[in-house]
Amino acid sequence: MLKAIMVIWITMLSLWGGLIQNDEQFKSAVAGIGKANKLVLMIYTTDDCPECAYMKTKVFHDKAVEPYLSRNFVVIEKNVHKGKLPDGYDFFGIPTMFFIDKAGNKKETVVGSKRPAEFHKELRRIREIK
Amino acid sequence: MRTLLLAIALGVVLSAYDAGHLKKALDEKECVGCDLRGANLSNMDFSGGDFHGSDLSSADLHGSVFEMGDFNDVNLSGANAQGALFWKGTMKRSDLTGLRAKGANFKGTHLEQSNLSHADFRSTKSWKANFSDAILFKTDFSDAELGDAKFIHNDLRTVKFKNSLLWQTYFSNSVMSKSQCTFAKKEEAIIDANVTCR
Repeated sequence: MLKAIMVIWITMLSLWGGLIQNDEQFKSAVAGIGKANKLVLMIYTTDDCPECAYMKTKVFHDKAVEPYLSRNFVVIEKNVHKGKLPDGYDFFGIPTMFFIDKAGNKKETVVGSKRPAEFHKELRRIREIK
Repeated sequence: MRTLLLAIALGVVLSAYDAGHLKKALDEKECVGCDLRGANLSNMDFSGGDFHGSDLSSADLHGSVFEMGDFNDVNLSGANAQGALFWKGTMKRSDLTGLRAKGANFKGTHLEQSNLSHADFRSTKSWKANFSDAILFKTDFSDAELGDAKFIHNDLRTVKFKNSLLWQTYFSNSVMSKSQCTFAKKEEAIIDANVTCR
């Protein structure tokens, strides 16, 4: 039982990089990747956004998506109604997901929610972008 | 000959809009109480436009943006709204029978008391849309995203929900088939005690 709780906790920690408030915290999250071969997935949300809740509580934790996401991405969340947006990351719709490499380059932007299978496929595609 | 006459008659019916009203709609991006039957309003931006009380039956609205628009008491029967954006708009008490809206965006749109009989809502993004008291006879929501949408006081037994996303979709005081209820529960919809599954 304790082992199972530990595994879930470690998985959650490796998946969730935290809620950011400003540009400094964003840069710190990107720098925090260090030498790990991962990308940052920054999701823009609002409090009143069912699609955001669906992505965060359902899709990110889907049994096929979650292991791949935690192995290859660090997820950070930015509530667009709280604090300043990171420089260079404007948006059109909510949720918007930005994929950023450890050098701070934006590799891809995805607007709107996706179902688990489609999102998993999208993650694999983005992972392969050079 | 008979076919030709029928085609001509149909053409007249489909393009029976008032030219002045169409000009107003195109120039001002809105037109209240207008005759826009069969008009071409496709691939344009009408964000925030007020069309309430207008007749847009058989009109072509495909690919256009009507973000936060007012379509209350409008006739959109048989119109083509494929891929159009009605985000956060209002379409209360409107006639949407046979509306072709595949792939359109109805996020947060109010469709209370409208008639959606035979409407094609396949693959629509209808998060948080409100369908309360709407007539939903043979409405097709296949592959539609209906998360957090509301269905209150609806008879849903003839509605198609094949592969639709019903996460946190709220069903209340409605009648559903047993298979719809099973599917909705699997999708994590919220079905209150006043829903009849039969």
